[in-house]
Amino acid sequence: KPKTKITIITRMPSTCVQETSLLIISISFSIWSILLNLNKPCVDQDLCDELCLIDVMEEKLKGEVMDLQHGSLFCKTHKIVGDKDYSTTAHSKVVVITAGARQQEGESRLNLVQRNVNIFKFIIPQIVKYSPNAILLVVSNPVDILTYVAWKLSGFPRHRVIGSGTNLDSGRFRHLMGEKLHLHPSSCHGWIIGEHGDSSVPVWSGVNVAGVSLKGLNPHMGTDADKEDWKHLHKMVVDGAYEVIKLKGYTSWAIGMSVADLVESILKNLHKVHPVSTLVQGMHGVKDEVFLSVPCVLGNSGLTDVIHMTLKPEEEKQLINSAETLWGVQKDLTL
Amino acid sequence: MNPRGVTSTTYRIVFTLWIMSSVMQKLITPMASGPAEPPRNKVTVVGVGMVGMACAVSILLRDLADELALVDVMEDKLKGEMMDLQHGSLFLKTSKIVADKDYAVTANSRIVVVTAGVRQQEGESRLNLVQRNVNIFKHIIPQIVKYSPNCTLIVVSNPVDVLTYVTWKLSGLPKHRVIGSGTNLDSARFRFLMAERLGVHATSFNGWVLGEHGDTSVPVWSGVSVAGVNLQKLNPQFGLDGDKEDWKATHKEVVDSAYEVIKLKGYTNWAIGLSVADLTESIIKNMSRIHPVSTMVKDMYGIGEEVFLSLPCVLNSNGVGSVINMTLTDAEVGQLKKSADTLWGIQKDLKDI
Repeated sequence: KPKTKITIITRMPSTCVQETSLLIISISFSIWSILLNLNKPCVDQDLCDELCLIDVMEEKLKGEVMDLQHGSLFCKTHKIVGDKDYSTTAHSKVVVITAGARQQEGESRLNLVQRNVNIFKFIIPQIVKYSPNAILLVVSNPVDILTYVAWKLSGFPRHRVIGSGTNLDSGRFRHLMGEKLHLHPSSCHGWIIGEHGDSSVPVWSGVNVAGVSLKGLNPHMGTDADKEDWKHLHKMVVDGAYEVIKLKGYTSWAIGMSVADLVESILKNLHKVHPVSTLVQGMHGVKDEVFLSVPCVLGNSGLTDVIHMTLKPEEEKQLINSAETLWGVQKDLTL
Repeated sequence: MNPRGVTSTTYRIVFTLWIMSSVMQKLITPMASGPAEPPRNKVTVVGVGMVGMACAVSILLRDLADELALVDVMEDKLKGEMMDLQHGSLFLKTSKIVADKDYAVTANSRIVVVTAGVRQQEGESRLNLVQRNVNIFKHIIPQIVKYSPNCTLIVVSNPVDVLTYVTWKLSGLPKHRVIGSGTNLDSARFRFLMAERLGVHATSFNGWVLGEHGDTSVPVWSGVSVAGVNLQKLNPQFGLDGDKEDWKATHKEVVDSAYEVIKLKGYTNWAIGLSVADLTESIIKNMSRIHPVSTMVKDMYGIGEEVFLSLPCVLNSNGVGSVINMTLTDAEVGQLKKSADTLWGIQKDLKDI
C-alpha cells in the first residue's frame, strides 16, 4: 500500500465533446508541474511515492505515462501508473480533478457548468469507492460550483473537498504587483478572494509589503479615483486567463504550479494559508450553501481552519453577490 | 505644529508632494543606483513547442536560471507561453522571464537550448528530417552567437547528432561549447527499463548507451553494473543474442519507445525536458558530472571524420571539459564507426554550411 499517492483525473467519459484532445495537453502540463515540484531536492522522500493518472483516452494516457516514466532517472516518484479503470486509484491521499470541458476563447466559466456536472456524476462516485479517505482538490471550472458538486456527490466532510479557487488569481495579482514595484512576488502580499473568475474580490486593505499597508500610503487604491490605477491590476488578473487562452489556446503552467503549491502544503502538513475554495455558508453574511475562496489553512487532514478576514462592507457585499450568483446557478443543477 | 525654521508654505508644498508621489516612492527608498546587474545564469530556449516548453519548465522548476528567455517565430503562441509562465512566478525563483521573436532578448545567455525545427512524424526516421532543419538553423544559430558569444549550446532538435555538427559549423564556436542532448535520454530510458526488471530505482542502475541517438545507439553491456557488481560477469551472455534472459530486448525497447510514445500521444516531451534540465544543471553549477552527450569524436576510436556522437562527457562550466575513454569491445567500436560513416554520408551532402 503506497504511503502517499496522488491521483490526477484528467478526463471525462465519452459523452463529452471534442475539447478533450486539447484538455489532455493542458492537464499533462499540470501533472508535470506537480511531479517536478514534488521532486525538488529539498523534498523528503516521503512526499509522494505513487502518481496515478486517469483518463478515458487510453492511447494518449499510455503515451503520457510512458513519457513520464522515461524521466524516472531524474525524479523521485518511484511509481507512475495510468489507466482508465478507477481501481488503479485505490488508496490515494490526494485526488486532483482537472477533468472537464475547457473554457473556449471568450466563454465565461459559468457556461461550462452543466457539461461538467455530468462528468462529475461519473467520476466522483468512483473516486470515493476506491479512496474513501482521500482529499479532493477540484481544479475544473467553474471551480467554486464544481467544488460544491464534488462535495455533494462525494458525501465527504467539508474539510476534505477543496477547490483550487483564487490561489492562482492571487498568484497572478502578486506577480503583477511585483512587476509594478520591482520586487519578487513572494514579498508582495495581496489576497484575492471570493469567486474564481470575473467577480473575484481583491482585498485592497490587506495589500502590503513588509507590513506596510499600501492603501495606507494611497487611500484611493482600488477605487476609480486612484491616479495610479491599482484597480487595473485586478482587471489584468481577471483578464489574464482569457488573454493567455487567446494567445496559446489554453493555460497550463501557472495553474499547474499553483496546484502543486497546494498539494505540497497538504502532503507536507505545512499549515500554510492559501486562498482556496471552501464552504462559506455562515461567513461574511453568506447564507447559501456555496463555495468561495477565503484564506484557509491546509495540512495533511485537509482544510483545517479558515482565517477570518476583516473586510470592508463593499467587499462583503461583493462576496454576498457572488454567493447569490453561484446559488442561482447551483439551485437549478440536477445532481 | 510647525517645526522651527520651516515655513507653513514649505510644509504645505512638502505635504502636497507627499500626496502626489506614488505608492512606490513612499514605500521604497532606493539604495543602489545605476543599471541593473546582468544575469549570471541566463538560459534561452529556442522554440516553444512541446519539447521547448518541457525544457523551459523543467529548468524553471529546478531553480537553475536567474533569467529565462524564449524565442520563436509564432508570436502569439510565444507571448501566451511567456505570460503563462510569468503567472506562476510566485512559485518560482527565476525572477525574469522574457520572450520575443527578436534574438536581442537572448543576450548574455550562459546556455542556449535549441529545440526549434520540425518534428519527427509517425514512422519517420530521424535521418529524414535533416535538410528541413538545416535551413532553419542557418537562420537561428548566427543570431544566437551574435548575442551570446560565450554561451554553451545544447542542441535537442532531431536528428540531433547531425544537427549538433551543423550548429557547430554555423556557430564557429569551439567544439567543447556545442553539445547535443544525444543519448542522455536513451541512457535514461535504458536505466529505467533495466532497473524495472530488477526492482531498483533507475539511479541505482548504471549503464551507458552511446553513439548515435536513435536506431543505432550502442548499449555498452560490459559497463552495466548495480552496486559495483558487473552484470556481464554474472551472465556472460548478457546483451548477446544467445542470452536466455534476453536482456538485449530491453535495449530494443529503448530504441522503439520513442516511436511508441509518438504513436500514442503524438510526440515526446517530458522525458527529454527532464534530461535537458539535468545537463543544464551540470553546466550551470560547474558540477563536472559525466553525461552521455553528443560531442565531436574525430580521432577517437579510429573515426576519421568530423562527426558528433555520444560519449561519456564531463560537463562543467566550460561545456565539455573532457571525455571519458570508455573501454569498448571491438564490436562496439565497429558500431560507432558505422554510425560515424552513416552520419558523414549525410553531412557531406548538406548544403550551405
